[in-house]
Amino acid sequence: MIALDGIRKLHLDPVQPPVFDGISLRIAEGETCGLCGPGASGKSLLLKIICGLVRPEHGTVEVAGRDLGLASPDELRSIQSRIGYLFQNNALFDSMTVQENVAFPLRQRLRLGQEALDEQQILARVSESLRGVGLATHAAKMPSQLSGGQRKRVALARAVVARPPLLIYDEPTAGLDPVTTAKIYDLLGTEQKLTKSTTLIVSSDIDALRRFSDRMLMVYRGRLCYDGPSADMDESASPVVRQFVRGELEGPL
Amino acid sequence: MKSQRALTSWAASLRTQATQLGQIAMLVCVGAVRARRPKGELLRQLYQVGNRSLLFVLVTLGFTGMVLVFQSCLQLSRVTGDLSQVGGEFIKYLVHEFGPSLTAMMLATRVGAGIAAEIGSMVVTEQVDALRMCGVEPVEYLLVPRFLATLAMTLLLAVFGVLSAVMMGAFTAHQTFHVPYSVFLDLSKVKLPDVLTGCIKALSYGAAIPIVSGFCGLRTHGGSEGVGWATTRAVVSSSFAVIVLDFLISALALLSWQSM
Amino acid sequence: MTRALLTLGMVVLSLCREVGGMALLGFYTFVNLLRGRFDAKELVRNLYKMGVVSVPIVSLTALFTGGTMVIQSGIFVQRFQAYGLLGWGTGYAVLREVGPILIGLMFSGRVGANNAADLGSMVVTEQVDGLRALAIEPIPYLIVPRVLAMMLAMFCLLVLGDAVAIGGGMLFGKLLLGVDYASFYASFVDAIKLWDVTVGLLKGTFFALMIALTSCHYGLSVKGGAVGVGQSVNDAVVAAALLIMVSDDIWTMVLR
Ligand SMILES: Nc1ncnc2c1ncn2[C@@H]1O[C@H](COP(=O)(O)OP(=O)(O)OP(=O)(O)O)[C@@H](O)[C@H]1O
Ligand SMILES: [Mg+2]
Repeated sequence: MIALDGIRKLHLDPVQPPVFDGISLRIAEGETCGLCGPGASGKSLLLKIICGLVRPEHGTVEVAGRDLGLASPDELRSIQSRIGYLFQNNALFDSMTVQENVAFPLRQRLRLGQEALDEQQILARVSESLRGVGLATHAAKMPSQLSGGQRKRVALARAVVARPPLLIYDEPTAGLDPVTTAKIYDLLGTEQKLTKSTTLIVSSDIDALRRFSDRMLMVYRGRLCYDGPSADMDESASPVVRQFVRGELEGPL
Repeated sequence: MKSQRALTSWAASLRTQATQLGQIAMLVCVGAVRARRPKGELLRQLYQVGNRSLLFVLVTLGFTGMVLVFQSCLQLSRVTGDLSQVGGEFIKYLVHEFGPSLTAMMLATRVGAGIAAEIGSMVVTEQVDALRMCGVEPVEYLLVPRFLATLAMTLLLAVFGVLSAVMMGAFTAHQTFHVPYSVFLDLSKVKLPDVLTGCIKALSYGAAIPIVSGFCGLRTHGGSEGVGWATTRAVVSSSFAVIVLDFLISALALLSWQSM
Repeated sequence: MTRALLTLGMVVLSLCREVGGMALLGFYTFVNLLRGRFDAKELVRNLYKMGVVSVPIVSLTALFTGGTMVIQSGIFVQRFQAYGLLGWGTGYAVLREVGPILIGLMFSGRVGANNAADLGSMVVTEQVDGLRALAIEPIPYLIVPRVLAMMLAMFCLLVLGDAVAIGGGMLFGKLLLGVDYASFYASFVDAIKLWDVTVGLLKGTFFALMIALTSCHYGLSVKGGAVGVGQSVNDAVVAAALLIMVSDDIWTMVLR
């Protein structure tokens, strides 16, 4: 589903070392993958590169068998509309109500001819999605009237509403209490079982992430320093990974 | 050596910016013709651009009309004392030059800054990226309705501006220099080329302002400070675009008049 | 009916708040300035930031303005075959009216908007409160140097802009209308009095005061993140443009 080869991306600030210096990785169809790393290591940037929102200076990005560097603008758009993306800062549209926000991807897919739904069905899908995140009663509100956690859940509903084959979550549980976190992961799990979609999750809550996904990736200093089963992270050969997983003060980090 | 390198990199960044601006202009024009946008959005933008700027344009153009008439009457009463021509010349001048240009200068600050601020804050809160992820081309989705609305409204507001300036000018001439309204409101000097030049100017400004400020807004990066910077750049660049276009179109009009 | 009255009342109230806020800011600035309480280092820094950086845009604006004014006077000049008046027409228009207004509008966009954005993001990131916590008063430290710097910078930019505009007028007069430099210059020197130049410069400096007060006021009253900063910058340039146009009228009526 996703294939990265030799990705190199320079930092915005030219005096800093490159954010990525040779990252290669493959994620198969239907796989669930967690991505972690220290702050500002480029987790969000890597997700954006995978989606074609940011272009790397070197290397190739393939999604669903298409090289994003070679795709025409129209092709890129149609690939992107098949990815559900939860942004780290939610990126809800300020000028639309919660309901319109969640309906937006469906309406656009309808316009692109990727979906054949009528208005009734769209509304049904939207309220189903909103019910899933427990916000069915907030459909008519504006995003600015919601709390941070509620906004995150609306963004989640918007990401999954079109049932895309590839789902990307950037910090789905940041700033949420433990019970809501558990609920969100439960929701991600049912979504994943239902649609068999490929899922890539970034989270700082590494324990919950390891419980949820079988495979873990870790970026550090521009490289992938871990790529393997979640269970083996504690016994990794790399001291960086061990320290990160155990949350110790002493170590190379 | 060092200055040479700085110059080269400056030229390179200028070229990429010009290319981007050109791409955006292309996308907007193609999008405007393809007409694949939600209906309500255009109306909303028309209202936004028109309603929020109407009073502003009326007031500023009205005061400018007063100043212009006052100055010309003052100068003329010192030289010849014959004020019967002032009204006609003033209206002619207003139609082909001052009306559209000043209206556009005002809209560059009002509308240009608004477009850049709105789009800029959508960029820094990743809403533009979210649009892309829904398979929407942000330039087309965000800029085309604003482009069409500004295009139409610049022309319309220029007409209102001219009317306001004429009214205030006639009032000034009547009050301070006792020029009768019937003498002042002399439309015989306004010829077809004047009206044409005025319309061409208004339409070019109306096209340039949203494209330039949308370009500035889409290039925003870096938090709330970035939005402020983008807004600033939009005001300066779109005002400057108006000044340059004014010069170019005036020169073209002058030259084509001469040859006729 | 009541709703219309309510809206009207709100508009009037907010107008009073903005105008009053600006007047108060101007008053405090003046008082602090008289007592000599302002940060001189900040003044120099702002003078550089506002003045030097605006030179290219002001020169370009002036060049094209001179050109446009020549074209406009040229239409009359050609009709009456009065080529000797070109320097006078262009010079008078540029020095007294169009120059200060257009340079003022550009200055408002370049420097005023920037200033509002700068102060606004300081407010949003709570830096202004930080200053207060360090026992640094915001007005002498932040506002007075900016107001002073804007007025000084505008004065110098106007002198430069006037020169460039007249030069541009000569150039385009020659290129487009075939009026040679000598006769343009002669009619310019003949008809333009020092008074005209002075009025233009005074007016422009006053515009700079208006720009400074609006941008500082709107910058300091930013609320609510990135959207708020953009909105304030927008309001600041609009208010400055309005004040420039309205006060230009008063200047013209008073200083004949
Ligand atoms: N488009 C870009 N091009 C180059 N560098 C970028 C770009 N966007 C962000 N960066 C830089 O990349 C670095 C990593 O940013 P990123 O937001 O990906 O970190 P992160 O790992 O998601 O951090 P956090 O855990 O805080 O979310 C930052 O230093 C940032 O300045
Ligand atoms: Mg991140």
